[in-house]
Amino acid sequence: MRSLVGWMVASLLGLAMVSFALAQDVAAAAQEATVESAARPGISILELPARLVVDNTPLPRALNALQKRSGVALAFSPSLLPKHHPVSCECEQLTVAQALDRILSGTAFRYLELGRQVLIEPIPHGRRAGAMLASATVLPFEASEESAARAAAAVLRESAPVSLTGTISGRVVEARTQRPLSGSQVSITGTGIGALAGSDGRFQLQNVPSGPVTVRAQMIGFAAAERSVTVTAGGITTVDFQLVEQALALDEVVVTGTAGQARRREVGNTIGQINMAQVAQPVVNVDNLLQARVAGLSVMRSSGMAGSGGQIRLRGNVSVAMSNQPLVYVDGVRIRSDGYPRNVSPAGHQGRSNNDVASPLNDINPADIERVEVIKGAAATTLYGTEAAAGVIQIFTKRGATGAAVWSAQVDQGLSKLRPFAPSDAPFLYLDPWLKTAHTQGYAISVSGGSGDLQYFVSGGYDDNEGVLPNDWEKKYLLRGNFGFSPSSTLRFQWNSSYTNNTISNTPAGNNSHGLMLNAFRRDANFFGDGSVETISQVLDYEIYNYIDRVITGATVDFNPIPRQTNRVTVGYDLAMSQMRQLRPFGFALAPEGILSTIRWSNATLTADYAGSYDLGLTRDLSSRFSWGGQAVSTEEISVAGYAEDFPGPGVPTLTSGARTLSFEDRIRVVNAGLFFQNLLSFRDRYFLTAGFRIDGNSAFGEDFGLQLYPKVSASYVVSDESFWREPWGQLKLRAAYGQSGRAPGAFDAVRTWNPLGWGGQPAFGPGNVGNANLGPERTAELEFGFDAALLDGRVTVDFTRYHQKTSEALFAVRQIPSLGFGSSQLENVGELENRGIEISATAALFDVQNWGLDVGLNVSTNHSKVLSLGGAPPFSLGSFGWIVEGHPVPVIRGRRITNPQEKADPIVENEHFYGPNQPSRIIGPRATLRLPGNVMLTARGEHQAGHYVYEAGSFNSLVRGVVWPTCTNAYRLLEAGQEDQLTALERSRCITANVAQDWFIYPADFFRLREATLSVPVGALVPRTDRATLVLSARDFWTWKNADFPIMDPEVGSNEGMNAQVRQIGEHIPPPAVFTASLRVSF
Amino acid sequence: MDVWVRKSVARSLSVPLAAAGVLGLGVAACDLSVTNPGPVQDDFLNNPAAHAAVVNGMGRDLGQALNYISLTTASVTREVHPAGSQGAFGILLPMQQGLLPFDHSQTSSHWNMAQRARWVSEAGIRRLHEALGPAAFEASPLVAQAYLWAGYANRLLGENMCQAVIDGGPAEPHAVYFERADSNFTRAAALAQALGLGTVRTAALAGRASTRAYLGAWSAAGSDAAAVPTDFVYEIPYFVIDTDQYNRVYWSSANQPFRAHTTWNTVYASYYRVTEDPRTAWDENPDVPVGDANVLDLGRVPWYFQLKHADRESPINLSSGREMRLIEAEALLRDGQWQQAMQVVNALRTSVGMAPWDAADLTEAWTRLKRERGIELWLEGRRLGDLRRWQEGGTPGALHPLEEPGGASNLHADRALCFPIPLSERETNPNIPING
Repeated sequence: MRSLVGWMVASLLGLAMVSFALAQDVAAAAQEATVESAARPGISILELPARLVVDNTPLPRALNALQKRSGVALAFSPSLLPKHHPVSCECEQLTVAQALDRILSGTAFRYLELGRQVLIEPIPHGRRAGAMLASATVLPFEASEESAARAAAAVLRESAPVSLTGTISGRVVEARTQRPLSGSQVSITGTGIGALAGSDGRFQLQNVPSGPVTVRAQMIGFAAAERSVTVTAGGITTVDFQLVEQALALDEVVVTGTAGQARRREVGNTIGQINMAQVAQPVVNVDNLLQARVAGLSVMRSSGMAGSGGQIRLRGNVSVAMSNQPLVYVDGVRIRSDGYPRNVSPAGHQGRSNNDVASPLNDINPADIERVEVIKGAAATTLYGTEAAAGVIQIFTKRGATGAAVWSAQVDQGLSKLRPFAPSDAPFLYLDPWLKTAHTQGYAISVSGGSGDLQYFVSGGYDDNEGVLPNDWEKKYLLRGNFGFSPSSTLRFQWNSSYTNNTISNTPAGNNSHGLMLNAFRRDANFFGDGSVETISQVLDYEIYNYIDRVITGATVDFNPIPRQTNRVTVGYDLAMSQMRQLRPFGFALAPEGILSTIRWSNATLTADYAGSYDLGLTRDLSSRFSWGGQAVSTEEISVAGYAEDFPGPGVPTLTSGARTLSFEDRIRVVNAGLFFQNLLSFRDRYFLTAGFRIDGNSAFGEDFGLQLYPKVSASYVVSDESFWREPWGQLKLRAAYGQSGRAPGAFDAVRTWNPLGWGGQPAFGPGNVGNANLGPERTAELEFGFDAALLDGRVTVDFTRYHQKTSEALFAVRQIPSLGFGSSQLENVGELENRGIEISATAALFDVQNWGLDVGLNVSTNHSKVLSLGGAPPFSLGSFGWIVEGHPVPVIRGRRITNPQEKADPIVENEHFYGPNQPSRIIGPRATLRLPGNVMLTARGEHQAGHYVYEAGSFNSLVRGVVWPTCTNAYRLLEAGQEDQLTALERSRCITANVAQDWFIYPADFFRLREATLSVPVGALVPRTDRATLVLSARDFWTWKNADFPIMDPEVGSNEGMNAQVRQIGEHIPPPAVFTASLRVSF
Repeated sequence: MDVWVRKSVARSLSVPLAAAGVLGLGVAACDLSVTNPGPVQDDFLNNPAAHAAVVNGMGRDLGQALNYISLTTASVTREVHPAGSQGAFGILLPMQQGLLPFDHSQTSSHWNMAQRARWVSEAGIRRLHEALGPAAFEASPLVAQAYLWAGYANRLLGENMCQAVIDGGPAEPHAVYFERADSNFTRAAALAQALGLGTVRTAALAGRASTRAYLGAWSAAGSDAAAVPTDFVYEIPYFVIDTDQYNRVYWSSANQPFRAHTTWNTVYASYYRVTEDPRTAWDENPDVPVGDANVLDLGRVPWYFQLKHADRESPINLSSGREMRLIEAEALLRDGQWQQAMQVVNALRTSVGMAPWDAADLTEAWTRLKRERGIELWLEGRRLGDLRRWQEGGTPGALHPLEEPGGASNLHADRALCFPIPLSERETNPNIPING
């Protein structure tokens, strides 16, 4: 009844609003008929009312204001305009043309009417301002007659001899380094002619009408540049561009976390960005791309096996019970970000597996990516609603540009090799006989271009990565097609689709007695009781495959029929399918009758998203952009599994071959839907205030729980646009943001349920979920503030942010009283958590002399989490020594500690010691780029993670079973010599079997790893006539420093749960190997 | 505000308001309720068609609790000796030493499972009563079965837990479980009698006999036992559908690849070697002579694998006529009639081809009975309760040294004879002090 009343009220409200709006529309349309008529064909937009009043305002802002007030699109490059050229114009009653005449007066700029926009461009050399009146293609500054403007435009059109064309070719490079800017867009302004630069930076524009034209080159992260040239019929005109990297790029458009899109200057929160044009190394997957590039973002690998996925955290953990993996969007389409399921038999021991999981992010071809935007917390993610508290990562793939086809190809060949991860007398923990130097190879090709209204980007790729272990490999095929269609200037369709087919074969590994690690690590104390290579190698008959098919498709329609108003609709579908199959064949040493399981798992995410905005000039200096929208996301996860055992004999079985078969099925669907409204107030284009909210409903909320409201407010202030600001001081933007977001409970968490269970062929029910009708999402509120600054002419940039997150009504799995039957825990909104920290991202060009240069950069982030309240619930364990305890990190590693580890005495034990957080509290990422003559570049990038603790299970599992272990070599020697009294307390605890306890293997997990060192060589510098090719040599993860108290294994190794682990612990896995890659990139 | 601005504002607002209205309609019409298959909502269990599954669930939970407790207590009482693994199908270090610490996760999990079995059956009976109404309730064979499961669930708790806690209440003497078991068995027997359910009735009487023995009501126990034929067996089944339902005593020592326990260094190893009593059968494998890991400070120990539970689906006895005979024998002992008691014991032995025991006096007869009960109920999860009640009752007769702490048994001096109220109950139940 309640929901019915709500529906009716909402319906009536909606109808009333629509009626009101329609009535207003009709009235306004009638009264403003004259304004509308101006936009009709035959009537110049220059005749529209300017409605502009500016006083002593910088020229770029004056033009922005004119654009907003008049509704006429003005095309200009802010970076080319004189910033400190104040203009004044009492143009309230004047036309656009008249206003432009006044505000461009005395500058070296002119304006041209081209279609439905007005181009502001530099006056060609040789024509001083006063001479412009004489030019047939230039409008008069003082034209007072409307007809003059029309006539001038007509002259402009007529002056182009359309029957004769020429060609423009050239090269786009980075101004400072002379590095080719592959993918930069070059176009003839005011026309549909354009092209993308190839990997050598070269471009060619064909069929350019002869006569004077303006050529524009632009690329994300760089200031656009324009050159005016005269094209001769049948001739080739050469134009080269040197783009200057924008230090702050305040006018760059970002879309993640904003309603529709916004310029950076308007945004009150920090936005991390990875621009692929600035990534030198060959990127093997998205995990690899994200690693150590954005402050506050950590990617922790799970193992060194093929296909292993990485755990991603933005500003640590915001949830105890739910996933902390951020939401991921590709071109506006939500995709699955949690890992694929682990390939484990649905019946039998849950350790029989490769014990690792793949990441859905790695189904995306990194070669297709143009850029990545990262927003890190609730202050920025409010508009994503209930599921976005852990942050949002948005990936943008490449698009085509009108012009000739540009082909790009890349070939990668590499070797991967495991680095030592144990003491020197057993550096590979006895795995040596099975390790190999593995071959990796990748091939990618793409073509992009466009003609008329249609643009395309099509790509394909193939990766074949061997692992360093037997039976360990990944073969991946990737296809993408991105198509854009603009039938009119107000309508644009974009359809992006990708398909990935990935087959992963893994070694049985992890904590798995049927696997390689446990048996090799333990040698003659293994489950065979035999350490010979031949015996242990029997586990390699165990086949583990994961066949992944992935389709991501999304269509976006931009429809902007009314000036100042935008509409964007996106419908997307992500289908991740995995067939997990594992076979222990008939005759397998540890299960002689054989076992087979096949799981068909799929996760479908359907996204429907609408965002609209309306720009409104309120006063001379004040404007407003009102945005609204809605989003619905449906996620359905299905798993159908079969299990068979006891095969009649050898051969390749199917599930039906087993004497005993079992079947399993799970289906879970969750729907989330919400609305948002936001308003941005802009004052003098340097003060910005944004306020908004989102209302959400979710199918997993309890039935007594209503819709959720998440508010946001943010502000930014571009101080450096003030008149008092001196140019040498650089640029400075201050910003602050507050917002709320949430995390929804699971599909069944709110309901009291019973599990249907079989009991020997008979149906049975077992207690499932206790249920909580009041269950709702946890709510994370975040305040962040900071600044973006560029100093010393942009040679130094600093992005500083301080954040404070507080998660209230946190979902805790509250343990129930066992004697009340439901021994399981129940999610309740009882807790309170916080995260605090800072993020600094700084770059500096240390020197830049002719062909030499050195750039350095540093990302620093801290994260300090704390449980503020348990809401009366007792402290509880998340496993792996991870605890939720008031006043301690989320989670804190708690266990016993030996207080006199190095003393030659019996251990003194402190009970319930709080070691520290499980997630790193400090991440430091230095990087450097050395530019050498010939555009040869050497880059290096490292990452230091520190302040966290992990339990290392591999040593415990072996030592508690009396396995001779390399960390105890000294202890064994002393024991053999009868010198037990010379053992340290730590040795007595770890190396004498009867004393072994898990607690003694909690390590500080601090490490520094050299993530990459890359040498990029334009082949043209070495081999003549190969200037469209670049050779890149790269080494990855080849050197590591670990804390001295971390004696064995690797800090970047995970446990059986892989990237999905709630508390990281180290299990019986190999670390990520070092990878050495040679990559050749060619465009043509 | 001039006319133009007002018009502009009106027009500007109209578009977003229209869109907001449409969005509002859309969301209001959007049905966010989702029905997911799989787990069943609580109300659905009131449907009579679901009651068979409700009652089967009681049996399943009982079986799971007994499964785990059987393996753990087998180590604590040295029905078996630990031989290796401590992981998923192994025996953890404290339990290898005979300890059951209240703050150990394993102690909590065993308590939780046993409590769940009790609550599910008792709450299920209340549900059936409410759903069926009094008349149909009394006429339902499912209700009789439910009372039987409730009886055995309470007996399991009474035999193995140090104290009773009922439905979040305070700690009480463990006899409370037996009293509840007695009541449930009585109702089961009565309903089964009325409905002509012979097996259920006999099982209820057998369960009540063992319960009353624990309560010290030996006369009543003997009367119930007498109604149970010697060849009667009532067992809980196990299945391969999930690992919790594998017979853990078998699977944890099945070389798949765990060889977590052995009969080596137990009284049953030497006994079987000499007598080949089929009730305590074990074997060894020259290809795999030792357990799968070092144990305590013993290194690798010989792996003698039990044969009583032959596969994952081997059932475990809940009651048997042979147990009833031993109850009768014990009742006779307590009455001082040790010769008659020995006759009963020896009748059981000769029925399986074993030589009769000799006993010279009451004390020796107690020793024999204690040994015989261990042999007869080997690996059925009953030994811990027996050892406790004999210790608490100060009964005469000796246990074998390999069953006692210290010496060659490798049991800790503080070997436990029951599970204390664990941390899981203490930290959640406001009626139980954390360190009480």
